[in-house]
Amino acid sequence: MIQLSDIVVKFGDFEALHNINVHVKEGEFFTFLGPSGCGKTTTLRTITGFIEPVGGTVRMQGKDITHVPIEKRNIGIVFQSYALFPTMTVHDNIAFGLKIKKLKKDEIERKVTSIARKVDLSDEQLKKAVSQLSGGQQQRVAIARALVTEPAIICMDEPLSNLDAKLRVQLRNELKKMQKDFGITTIYVTHDQEEALTLSDRIAVFNKGFIEQIGTPNEVYNASATEFVANFIGDINPLGDAITRAMGLSAAQNHFIRLERVRVNEPDTEGVYTADGVIESREYYGLYIKYYIQAAGQTIKVIEKNDGIRIYEAGEQVHVAVHPSDIMSYPRKEA
Amino acid sequence: MQSTLRRKDSLNFSMVYKVFGGVLFVYLFLGFMVIPCVNTLTSVFTAKDAAGNSDPLAVIRFFLAGSMPSFVWNSLKLAICLVITVNVVGISIVLLTEYFDIKGARILRLGYMTTLIYSGVALVTGYQFLYDSNGMITKYLAEMFPGINKQWFSGFEAVLFTMTFACTSNHALFLRNAIRGIDYNTVEAARNMGAKPFKVLMKVVMPTLLPTLFSLTVMTFITGLCAMSAPTLLGYNSINPEIVRLAGSTTADEAFPQARAALLSVILALFTIVLLLFLNHYEHKGHYLSVSKTKAKLVKQKIQNPVANVLAHIYAYVLFIVYMTPVVMIVVFSFQNWSAVRNKVLDFNGWTLSNYFGIENYSYTRSTGKISTRIGAISGVFSNEKTVGGIRLSFILSALAAALACVIVVIAVNYIFKHKNKKRAAVVEGCLLFPWLLPTILICYSFRIFFNNEVWYVFNQNLYYKENVRFLIVIAYAVVKLPFALRMVKASFYAIDEELTDAARNLGAGSLLTFLKVKLPIVLPSVLAVFALNFNALFTEYDMGATFQKSEGTTYAMVIQSMCNEEGRDGMNMNASGRRCASTVFIMLVSGLILYLVYGVGARDLSERLAIREKRKKRLQAIRSRLGVKSGGGGGNGE
Repeated sequence: MIQLSDIVVKFGDFEALHNINVHVKEGEFFTFLGPSGCGKTTTLRTITGFIEPVGGTVRMQGKDITHVPIEKRNIGIVFQSYALFPTMTVHDNIAFGLKIKKLKKDEIERKVTSIARKVDLSDEQLKKAVSQLSGGQQQRVAIARALVTEPAIICMDEPLSNLDAKLRVQLRNELKKMQKDFGITTIYVTHDQEEALTLSDRIAVFNKGFIEQIGTPNEVYNASATEFVANFIGDINPLGDAITRAMGLSAAQNHFIRLERVRVNEPDTEGVYTADGVIESREYYGLYIKYYIQAAGQTIKVIEKNDGIRIYEAGEQVHVAVHPSDIMSYPRKEA
Repeated sequence: MQSTLRRKDSLNFSMVYKVFGGVLFVYLFLGFMVIPCVNTLTSVFTAKDAAGNSDPLAVIRFFLAGSMPSFVWNSLKLAICLVITVNVVGISIVLLTEYFDIKGARILRLGYMTTLIYSGVALVTGYQFLYDSNGMITKYLAEMFPGINKQWFSGFEAVLFTMTFACTSNHALFLRNAIRGIDYNTVEAARNMGAKPFKVLMKVVMPTLLPTLFSLTVMTFITGLCAMSAPTLLGYNSINPEIVRLAGSTTADEAFPQARAALLSVILALFTIVLLLFLNHYEHKGHYLSVSKTKAKLVKQKIQNPVANVLAHIYAYVLFIVYMTPVVMIVVFSFQNWSAVRNKVLDFNGWTLSNYFGIENYSYTRSTGKISTRIGAISGVFSNEKTVGGIRLSFILSALAAALACVIVVIAVNYIFKHKNKKRAAVVEGCLLFPWLLPTILICYSFRIFFNNEVWYVFNQNLYYKENVRFLIVIAYAVVKLPFALRMVKASFYAIDEELTDAARNLGAGSLLTFLKVKLPIVLPSVLAVFALNFNALFTEYDMGATFQKSEGTTYAMVIQSMCNEEGRDGMNMNASGRRCASTVFIMLVSGLILYLVYGVGARDLSERLAIREKRKKRLQAIRSRLGVKSGGGGGNGE
C-alpha cells in the first residue's frame, strides 16, 4: 500500500531521516512510535507530501508519489490539534475538501450527512461551531473531514496527545473501532507506547532518524530488537554485575529484565537465579503494585498484580527470582 | 507527469506574481518612505546663503544663533511635565477604579474613559469652550475668586492641562489590563507576611506594573514632544506648530524656512528614534510574568484609614468632574441656540436642533437702522456645506487610507509568516516598521515639500497640487498607520495554527484559497478592528491635516478648527460654536460606535455569532407564531 524506500530527509545540514524503509500493508493500522525528535512526524510528513525527501522514494499502491503535490496524493490527515477551521461550522469543515473538488451541492450534502452518521455526529452538531464541541466530538469531526474525500490512506499525527488521560483511553477505543469499520489503511504517529501497543497491527520504533524495529506489538515488547526498543517500550531493570556473573551471562553484553518478569518469594526452582532482598519502598497503583527491592547489590523494580492478599511492606525481607529465559541481552555499546 | 507540468506552470505564474509584488513593494518603500525623508535630511545641509552659494552648516549656525532652540526646549519642557502629570492622573484613575474600593467605581471608570471617544482637536476646542477667558468655568471661577487671571487658559499651562487629561486613554486601557493581570494570591501572601496595604501597593503591585508604566511613559514623552493640536490652538511655541508654520513660509519672509523646518523635524526624529530604541531595549529585557497556574482575581482593597478613604473619594470624584464636565457641557450646548452658545449661558428656552440639521436665516439691525437678513447664516453640521464637505473628505480619505494600510499589512504579514526565520521576511517587517521611527510631522512635511514638485516616479505629477493633495493625504495617512497595523495584524496571525494551513493544503486548497478561506476569516476580526481604529484616529486627525492644509485638502479637523474664526462677523456663520459642539457630539458617536463594533461585535467568535443568530431566529418564530394566533383569533371572532 505505502512503500518507503531509502528515504533521506535533510533540514539544512542536519539529516533528520537516514535511509528509512517501511512497507505498510493494505488495511493495516501501522504506528510510528518514538520519543520527541526521533523522525516519526518527519516520516509522516514525507508520506503526506509536506516534506520532500532528498533521497529515496515514496510509493502508494505501486505509484511513485515522491514529488506529487500534497493535494494530489489522496491522503487524509488527522492533525495533532485536529486543525479544524474555527471560522467554519462543523458541516463546512467536513465539506471543505469536497467544495475544493467542486462537487455538486447535493452530492456534498449527501457525502457530509453520510460520513457524519458513520462517525456519530448529529444534524444538530453539524450546525455548530467547532468550538462548541467536546474534545471527542472534535476528533470525530477531524476524522470525518479526513475521510469524506475518500482517501486511499489516513494519517494521524498524535491525535490524542492534547486530551486528558481518561478521554484518551475512551477515544483510543473509538478510534480503533472506526478504523476497523472503515477498513482504511492507517498510519498513526505517537510517542505513547501504551497507545501504540493497544491500537496497532504493527509498530515501527524510531530513534534518532532510524527505525530500530518493525513488528507486531507483541514482537516489539517481548522480543525487542535493540536495547533502545526494550528501554523505550515498557520499563526494564538493567542487571548488575553480581547477577550477570552469578548467572554466567556474557560480559560483552548488557542484560535486562522486565519488571513483571522478576518473581518475588517464588519457590526455588533449579536453573533460576534467586537473591535475598529487602523492600525499599512501594508504589500503589490499584491494579498493580510496584516495589523497589534492594537485592544483589542493586535496586530491582518489580511489578506485582494486586491480589489484595500478598502485599509487602517497606523493610520486609523477600527473595527475588530471575528466570534465564526472561533475560533480554544486547551488545554493549562503546562509550 | 501532468501534475508536475501543471505545477511548473503555477510556479512560473507565482514567480511573476512574486517579482511584481517585490518590485511594487520596493517602489512604495523607496518612493513614499525613504526618498522624501532623505530629501528632507539633505535639505538641511544644502541650504544656500544670500549669495546663492551652498552652505552646509548655515541652518545649523542659524539654529544655534537664533531662537530655534527655544522651540526644542519648549517641546522638551512639555514632554517632561506631561510625563509627570499624565502618570499621576493615569495611575490615579486606574488605582481608583481597579485597585481601591471606591464607591461608584463603574461610573467613575466610564467618566475617565471618555477620552477614548473624545480626543484630539474636538477635545482641545471643547476645553477652550469651557476654560478660555470667557469660558463657562473661567467665568464661574472669576465670580467666586475675583482676583483670578481670566487669561489663564493659554500657553504652556493650558496645553499641559488639556493634554494631561487627553493622554490618559492609554493608561485607562493598558495599565488597567496590567493591574487586572496581577495574581491576587501575591497580595494575600504579602499581607499574610505582615505587609501593610500601602507597602503591598508599593512593593508588590507597583513593581509588576513598572514595565507597562515604562512603555506608557515613553509613549507619553513622544506624544508631548510631537504635540500639535493643543499647542497650535492654545498658543504654545513648540516644534510641530513651528514646522507647519515654516513649511508654509517663503524665503521672502524669512531665512531658509524649509531647511529650518527640516532641521526641526530631524531633531524630533532623533529624539523619537533614541526613545524608541531605549524602549525596545527595555522591552527585550522581558516583563514580569505571573508564574501562577491558578491565578486569583484581584479583590479591591478597602482603604482602612477613614480620612484617607474620604480624601480618595473626593479626589476620585473631582477627577470625574474634570473629565465629564467638557463632555456634558458640549452635549448640552450642542442643543442650545446660537445666542446661548455664544454667551456660554444655558438658556432653558433655547433648545434647538439647528446645530445638527437645517438652515435658518438670521435677521439683524444694521447701524443705519435697516433690518438685514443673512440667508442661511445658521446651519447645522449636516446642512453646512463646508462642514459636510470636511466630513465627506475626511470620511473618504480615512476609509481609503485605513483600507490601504490593512491590505498592505495583511499581504505583507502573510508573506512574513510564510517566510519566517528568513532574512527577506525581516526586511519586509523592518520596512513596514520604518515610519514608527519617524515623527508623523517629519513624514508629512517631507511629503509636502518633496511632492510639491513634479516627481518622475509618480508620472511627473505634483502631488501637492490642487486635488492631487488628497492622494498625498491618503498615502501619508496609510504610511503613518502601517506600524500600528503591522503589530496588531501580526499578533492576530500568531493565532493561526500552522496545522490549519497544512490541513487546507491537504484537502486540496492552493495558497490563495488557503489564505482567503482559512487564514483571512481567522484574522478578519482583527483586521477589521485595525481598520476601524485607524479610521477612527484618522477621521478627526489634526496633525497631518494641518501640515497638508489647503482648500482642496481641508479635512474635518481643520473645518472644526476654523469653524469659529468668522463666527457672527457681518451676520454670517452665526451658530459656528454650536455647530462645533454638535460636531464634537457627532465625533463621539462615531468613535463610540466604532469602539462598540470593534470590542463588542467584532470580538464575538463563530459560536457566539451562531448563538445570537439562533436566539434571533427563535424570537422571530415566537413573534410569527404570536401573530399567527392573533390573526387566527381575529378570524374566529369575525365568524
